[in-house]
Formats: sequence, structure tokens, C-alpha cells
Amino acid sequence: MSGDLHTAEGQIAGTVPHPYHMVEPSIWPVFGAVSAILIAAGIIFVAHYNDYWFLIAGTLGAVGTMYVWWRDVVRESRTPGLHKLVTQIGMRYGMALFISSEVMFFVSFFWAYFNFFFYPSHMGYAHAPVWPPQHITTIDPFAVPLFNTMVLLLSGTTITWAHHALLENDRRGMIQGLGVTVLLGITFLCGQGYEYTHSPFNFYHGGIFPSVFFIATGFHGFHVIVGTTFLLVNFFRAIKGQFSVKRHFGFEAAAWYWHFVDVVWLFLFVCIYYFGRSAITAA
Amino acid sequence: MSATALHDDHAAHGHQPGFLRRWLMSTNHKDIGTLYITWAIIAGIEGGVLSMIMRAQLAEPGNTLITNGAAWNAIVTSHGLLMIFFLVMPALIGGFGNWMVPMMIGAPDMAFPRLNNMSFWFLFMGFIFVNLGLLVGVGSGIGWTLYPPLSDITYSPGPAVDFTLFSLHLAGISSLLGAINFIATILNMRAPGMTMHKMPLFVWSILVTAFLLLLAIPVLAGAITMLIMDRNFGTSFFEPAGGGDPVLFQHLFWFFGHPEVYIMILPAFGIVSHVVSTFSKKPIFGYLGMVYAMVAIGFVGFVVWAHHMFVSGISMDSKVYFEAATLVIAVPTGVKVFSWIATMWGGSVELKTPMLWAIGFIFMFVVGGATGVVLANAGLDTELHNTYFVIAHFHYVLSMGSVFAIFAGFYYWIGKMYGQQYNETLGKLHFWLFFIGVNLTFFPQHFLGLAGMPRRYPDYPTAFAGWNYVSSMGAIVSGVSTLVFFVILFKIFTGKQKLAANYWGEGATTLEWTVPSPAPHHTFEDVPVIR
Amino acid sequence: MELAELMKQSTKYGLLALGLITAAAAAHPALAASLPKNSAGFTVHAPQPWEWWFQPAASPIQKSIDWMMQFVLWIMFGVVLLVAGLLAYIMVKFRASVHPVPSTTTHNTLIEVIWTVAPALLLIVIFVPSLNMIYQQSNYKHPYMTVKVTGHQWYWEYQYLGAKGVDFTSYPIPPNQLKPGEIKQLSVDHPLVVPANRKIVFQITSGDVLHSFFIPSLGVQRYAIPGQYWHQWTKIDAPGVYYGECNQICGMNHDNMPIEIVALPMAQFQAWLAEAKADAAQGDVPPVHKYEVLAEAAAAKAASIAQPHLALASNASN
Repeated sequence: MSGDLHTAEGQIAGTVPHPYHMVEPSIWPVFGAVSAILIAAGIIFVAHYNDYWFLIAGTLGAVGTMYVWWRDVVRESRTPGLHKLVTQIGMRYGMALFISSEVMFFVSFFWAYFNFFFYPSHMGYAHAPVWPPQHITTIDPFAVPLFNTMVLLLSGTTITWAHHALLENDRRGMIQGLGVTVLLGITFLCGQGYEYTHSPFNFYHGGIFPSVFFIATGFHGFHVIVGTTFLLVNFFRAIKGQFSVKRHFGFEAAAWYWHFVDVVWLFLFVCIYYFGRSAITAA
Repeated sequence: MSATALHDDHAAHGHQPGFLRRWLMSTNHKDIGTLYITWAIIAGIEGGVLSMIMRAQLAEPGNTLITNGAAWNAIVTSHGLLMIFFLVMPALIGGFGNWMVPMMIGAPDMAFPRLNNMSFWFLFMGFIFVNLGLLVGVGSGIGWTLYPPLSDITYSPGPAVDFTLFSLHLAGISSLLGAINFIATILNMRAPGMTMHKMPLFVWSILVTAFLLLLAIPVLAGAITMLIMDRNFGTSFFEPAGGGDPVLFQHLFWFFGHPEVYIMILPAFGIVSHVVSTFSKKPIFGYLGMVYAMVAIGFVGFVVWAHHMFVSGISMDSKVYFEAATLVIAVPTGVKVFSWIATMWGGSVELKTPMLWAIGFIFMFVVGGATGVVLANAGLDTELHNTYFVIAHFHYVLSMGSVFAIFAGFYYWIGKMYGQQYNETLGKLHFWLFFIGVNLTFFPQHFLGLAGMPRRYPDYPTAFAGWNYVSSMGAIVSGVSTLVFFVILFKIFTGKQKLAANYWGEGATTLEWTVPSPAPHHTFEDVPVIR
Repeated sequence: MELAELMKQSTKYGLLALGLITAAAAAHPALAASLPKNSAGFTVHAPQPWEWWFQPAASPIQKSIDWMMQFVLWIMFGVVLLVAGLLAYIMVKFRASVHPVPSTTTHNTLIEVIWTVAPALLLIVIFVPSLNMIYQQSNYKHPYMTVKVTGHQWYWEYQYLGAKGVDFTSYPIPPNQLKPGEIKQLSVDHPLVVPANRKIVFQITSGDVLHSFFIPSLGVQRYAIPGQYWHQWTKIDAPGVYYGECNQICGMNHDNMPIEIVALPMAQFQAWLAEAKADAAQGDVPPVHKYEVLAEAAAAKAASIAQPHLALASNASN
């Protein structure tokens, strides 16, 4: 190695103009943070004082922030010269990393589930060490859950249909594929809603089984809502013709997210609905 | 923002925006870094005041400064949370990370500047909530580990605990978004020619830290979500009466909590590497070993969590495994320490203030690491768990590890960040006072712990009086040293120097030393090509 | 060469460190310091002023903890001293003023391998005896007796399994009601009474939040977890009073739920247990005894052999 490299300047051979997108100042991050604290305060106020105003304000603020912020991102992406290749790659990193962290979020709920599934003796007082707990009748995995599994698997194929249509510049096919995927997402949510309202066990003070069941499937359901909304946004963007064969990361991100939600469901179905079923199940 | 507005701003390049626009709406990594460091100092002052209150109460047995045990517990809890989530992490990652990572890799800014700003403001909101957790009602006296059932609604009925839990949610989201931002920046925005194996060690340390955050924080988020549900919405994950398992929370918490320990120390490793190299006028010894030692620490850090639970609900076989895995960490840590020493060996060592902090760091960290090896022994932990020996151990690696590195980084980079050099004499005075203060505070705590004094006690049997008194005297010295730091800050902010771009000279070899001091609002808009 | 120099210096300072360690070891005070006795003639195993080591070990577990702690600490002391020595050497010999031209060495595979492998070997040396301790501490089979210990906010409850009805609570004595010989934040109204020299198992649980059942001089510590039972055993070497404290944050009176254990010679313990059972059978009388009462007979015997009593050197009045 030449001694040159051991000085700060010596490492620099020359310069090239930067290819990045330098973002202008924006007030939306502060809006987002204020909305978040309002939501947090809102949940506390709901729980302790039965007061919903903070939660409503925070939720509206958060939704509004997402709208205006991502509206800016979409506009920037459509402004020539701002989102060069490296910025597009950066977005991919961002989304992939976000999904990784989401995986770990679900790990915590699966961990809670397996803690009792593999070690039923970890259940507190007065529980025979069997899983599911003795007084629990679980949901028949081959009724609504299997239907929902099929729905989600099908939606995985329809999103791929949309993707391929997009890659072949078939806008009509892409819109159809996306539309069907959104409908399938809504179908899944309806199925989940039916299952919840007809579940043989109660969420509130229902004990450990409903706790792990509802938190894992509930957070998954929430992610389906988010994913469906994400797809719906892309549906409208597709109608507006905002995607091209080469530039459509917004769509890809939604598809990644949708596949993630799909995979989580498969784990839920196998681990919780199927392996966690009781001897007699409720249809 | 309309396209025309975008254009106007481009025309105004190089000029700083107005006050509100600059500090509220910032998309500039340096300004956001400054916000983080400022807030770290504020949170550090609050956490420090709380520790002074605690040492005052503990100075002698039977003190009546704090008569309410619940208030005491709230102070203990808030001190821990403030120092971890609002001092050490914001200073090391949000502060120095934001300032230095883009400059060190030759990038003009972070990958997601708006997200970067939101990370800071989430932290700010978390800070508000942690204070509500301290002040609402009797405060949340559950310890920073938040263990249920004490943190369940039955035993902590007020909203204070909910504020504390949500403050962790907010700070956690802040860290998570920051982590995504750092990883995307480091992987995607390195200057041409800067391969991963040419990256400065501080950048590596932030990269590993960011991965730890990315994978650990969501598990904490899940755990505290379940705890909030238990408290408010009728579930029973951790409530034995409903079939729950309090130990489950401990597993989830420490699966986050142990990587968190490395989150707080890895960036410190990075800073110390730079300082040691600069003031020895020698390149890092064993660069690759240093890099992969950090990566190894990151990996192993994920599989050792239950060593925090040796006397809690884990089986004998688990103890054996977790002890063995924990001891393994000492190996890459040893590689780091010996490589720093080898970096200095044969160098031309200048004991400027940052170097004093860095050498102090190495020594004190080795002391804390040594007691760490002691505590890794499950059999010994039976006797030492939750005693002051543990308090002494983790203050040696935090109060003298991470905080020493924060000060090393501060003195090392303040000229680059603010354009004014600190006063060398006062800097050294600050170091020596703090060094004496913290050692006086925490070394006797080893003895208290060995003799069996439990942590989180507002009052203690009379036999523990002696060493507690010494410890409190040490706290006074640390407090005085902090006053010296304020004087240094004042002199920096009122200074009128002109600093060279590379004011440390030949030893400072990373890219931030090629830009003027203070670093202009935008740097590396022309990206350097690295040889 | 640099390496040769480094290794030479390391060896030199390493040997120096070792010498210092040996010297310090020789100067290490006898660990079994003499403990005070209370007015009833019991040795008091409580923390002492300015204590800087474990309380004197009074059980096989604590004896191995004490040994292991010294073993690990001496090794670690050596490591710290080595690092300190190297740092000091660097600060003296490689100061810019005496060593203006820095070397440019950045690699040396051999030494890097050494400083990776050597610590690993050291850790194995630590791990092996440590493993034995885990097994020793986990072996709670075949006890002489089992006491179910339940933590409550903020007192302990002791239930003698196999002795029907012997189940009582143990509260701290408020500071303003301490009698001479009682210790602030350690003495309780009804201590746990067990036989000395017999294997005792504590079956530890909690009635509310987490607590930790911690008796330093016996090497006993385990969390009290509601809904779960965890076991910890001990065998107390000699009759005496053994103090411990709750060691897991459990609410506002966390610092005020001490543990006091009285170990009696076997015969006296059996007498005590018989009486406790009889009390329990009567129902309304709490089957508990202050050890002074128990000790009276023993003290009378002791007095007949004319053993002087040491006053308890504790500051009970605080």
C-alpha cells in the first residue's frame, strides 16, 4: 500500500456528481410523530378514561400524514432526474428491511404461542399441562381457515398475474390482476371477521389461548388491511397509468408486502389452526 | 411540495433554511444529528439529576429524601430508560451516526432524509412519554426491565406504566426507522471505490448496530404490545391467573435486551477505533479482525439472552447452554481490545483529550468485561444476580464504556461539527474528574454486591453504609465534572476560531477530514472516487 | 522486529502481573472472618460494615461459589492487569515526544491468532469448573425436608411440606420497634426455622408479583414466580442466624421484605417442629416461635458450660 492512502485526501482519486435524490425539507415527519404520540396517548385515554378523541385525532393525523408524504414521494418519483437508479435501489433496501423487521415482530407472537404449545406446563395457575387448554374448543382448521388459506394463495397468484402483465406492458391485465387481488384480500378479511364473530372462545378475559390466538391472527389481519390498502393505492395508480415496464417499484413493494402477509398466514394456519386444534373443533 | 418549490430550493443551495424550516422540517443529516446530540445532552442531564437524587438518598441509611418506595422505583426506572434510550442510543447512533456515516462513506446525505427526521421526532415524543411515566400519579416503578406481573394492571393500576410502555414503542419505532435508514445508506450509498472492506470502522459498527436494532426492536415491540394488551384489553399473556407465563416476557424482553447491550457498545467501539488510530498516527491494526469481531459479537449477541435469567425460570440445561454461549463473546471482545492496543503499539501517541477518553474506555471496558465473565457463570450468578455487583458491572461498560466513548467522539469531532475546538486543559480536567468520579462511585459497588446488597433499594441495612457513602461521594465528583463539561460547551459556543479541515493532522484518515471545519451544510455533492 | 518486541514486553509484563497476583493472593485476608453472635448465642450471618467480599460461606453451595469466584477473579485480575500494563507501557514508551515516528505495521497473523485462541482456552478453563457448579446447585433431589416459600407484597410465607399446618408468615420488624440484637431491614417477626447439617429444599413461588428469595451466606437465590415452582437447595453447615433479602423489584416496599433463617441443631429443631405442629393443631395459635425463646434452653445449657456471649455488633437503633 502506498503511504498516500494513509492520509484523508490521499484516498480520493477524483470526484463525480452525486446520483442521489436530495430531499427538500418537509413538515410531514413532524406531523407523523405528533400523530403517533396522539395515537399512543389515545390508546391510554381509551383504556383509562374511556375517551376516544385523542385516538381519533391521532389516527386521522397518521392517515393524513401517510397520504401527503407518499403523495410527495410519488410526485418526486415522477419528476425526471430525481429518482435515479441508485435511489430506486435504496427504496428496495428500505422495503426489504422493513419487511425483515415485520418478520421479527411476528416472531414475538409466534414465540408466545410456541412457549405454551411446546411447554403447556408454562401456563399459570390451575391449568392441566395440555395444549390447547382443556376448556378450549378451537376453530375447525378445515372450515373458514382453509378457505382463507385458499383465498390468500390464490391472491398470491393473481398478484403475480398483475406483475407479469405489467412487465409485458399489458395495463389492462395488470389492473384486472390487481383488482382481483384486492377483492381476494377483502374476501379474506370478511372470512376472518366471520370467524372472529363466531369464535367459540372470547377474547376479553378468555385466558391464554384466545390471547395468543387473537394477537397473532389479529395482527396478521391488520397487516392484510394494510396490504390490501397498499394494493388498492397501486390499483388506482395503475388506472392513472403511473407504472412503466421499467419503473414500478411502488407496485413491487406492495407485492412483496402481500407475499409476506401470505407467508405469515401459512405459518398461522399450520402452527396455530392445525397443530393447535383441539380434539373437537367448532365449525 | 410542488415542483416549482423544489426548484426554488435547488437554486438556494448552500444557504441554510430559516430556523423552523431548518430544525423542524430538516432533511439534512448534519442538522438531524445535531438535534439528536442536543437531545441526548438534555436527556443525559435529566438522567444524571435522577442519579444524583438516588446517590443522595443512598448516601446514608435511613435517609428521608425519598420516603415513598413507589416514587423511588419510578426514579430508578426512569433513570435507566433515559440513559439507555434517550442518552446513549441517540448520542451514538442518531448523533454521531447521522453526522459521520454519510461523510465517512462519501455520501451527500442519508438514504431517506425525511424518515431520518421522523426518527428524531419519534424519539422526542418518546422522551415526553417517559417523563409522563415518571410524573403521572406515583410514576411507573417497574424497573427498566418492565417485568410483569409488577407491571400488570393489578399491581400498577395508573396510566403511568402505559406511558412508559408507549414511550418505548415510540423510541423503538424511532430506532427501527433509523436502522433501516443506516443500513440502506451504508449498503447503497458508498462512494465509488469504497468497498465494504475499506469502510471506516465506525461505519461498520453502525451497520452491525443497525442490524441488531432491526431484528431486536420488533421483538420488544411485540412484548410490550402484549403487556399493554394484558394491562388494558383483557388478555393474559403474562398473567398466571389467566394461564399466562411471566417468564415468557423475560425471554422476549431479553431477546431484545441483550442485543440492546451491544447496540449501546458497538458504536462506542467504532469511535474508539478512530480515536486510537488518529492519536497514535497509525492505521488500525488488524482491520479485518476488528470488522469481523464486531459482526461476530452481533451474531452471538442474539443467542445469549437468557443469561439475564439464570435465577429466574430456566432449566439446568438452559443454564449450561447460555453460560457457554455467553463466554464465547469474550473472544471477539478480546480481539477488539488487543487490536486497539496493537494499534497504539509502536505509534506516536498523543494524549489529547479524545485519546484520554478512548484509553480510559479501553481500560474501564476491560474491567467491566472482566466482571462480565464472572457474571456469565450461572453458578456465580446465583449469588450475584440483582446485587450491586451487577450494577457495578454494567455501569463499568455503560457509564464508563459507552459514555466515555461518547465524550471521546464529542471531543474528537466537535471541531468538525461546530467549527470550534474545545479547550484542551478543561477537556483533560473533565476527563480526570469524571474518571475519578465514576470509579469512586462504581468500584465500591462491587463490594456492596459481594456482601449481598440488592439493587433498587431506597434504604439498606446499616452494614452497607460505608461503601454507599464512598459511592455517593464519587457521584459528587462526577457531578462536578459535568459542570466542567458545561463550561467547555459554553466556551465552544462562544469561540471564534478558524479550524483547519483536518485539525488532527496525519493520523486522521477518514473522509470527514477532507471537508472544511465546520462541515458545510451539504458535503460530498460531488462524490469522491476512492482509490 | 515489532512482533518480537511486543511478545517480549507482553511476557515481561505478564510475568510481572502474575507476580503481583501471587503477592496479592498471599495477602488476601482469611475469608472466614469471625462473625458476631447475638444475645441468644447464635452466630449472625449478616453483612458487615466495609465488607468487601462475600459473607462467610455457610453452605456447600456458597463454599463452591466462593472458591469459583476467587478462581475466576484471579484470572480476570490477570487480564485486567495485563491490559493496564500494556496501556501504561504504551503511554510511557510511545508518547509522541519520545517516539515521534510511528510504525506502519497493520497486520501480524500469528499474534492475531494467539490473541484469539488464548482467551478461548482461558474460557474453557473457566467453563469446566463452572459446569460443576451448575450441576451442584441443580441437584435438589432427596432432601431431608422441603419448605414451600411464597413471596408476597411484602412478606414471605413459609410452609413446611410434610408437617401439616406449619405455615406462617414472616414480616420485617419496623425500624422503630427493633429490639437490641435485631437488625434494621433484616430481622423479622417470625424467622424460618430449619435444622443445620441437613439438606433442605426451598420450593419457591409467589402469590403476586416476582420476588427473589436470596440468602447470600447460603448461596441461595431463585425468583419467586407466580404460578410456577422453582427449587433451590441448601445444607447449612452450622447452627446460626442467616439473613437475606428480597432481590427482585416487587413494588414500593421492595427493600422491606427480609429473610431470616434460624438453623438449629437437629434435636432442637425436632422439638421446635413438634411444638409447631401442636400449635397448628390448636388452630388459632400461630405456630411460630422467636428464636430467642427456642434458644433459651440451649442458652441455659451453654451457660452451664460457661461460654461467654458476644454482644451483637449491629446498629439496631437506626
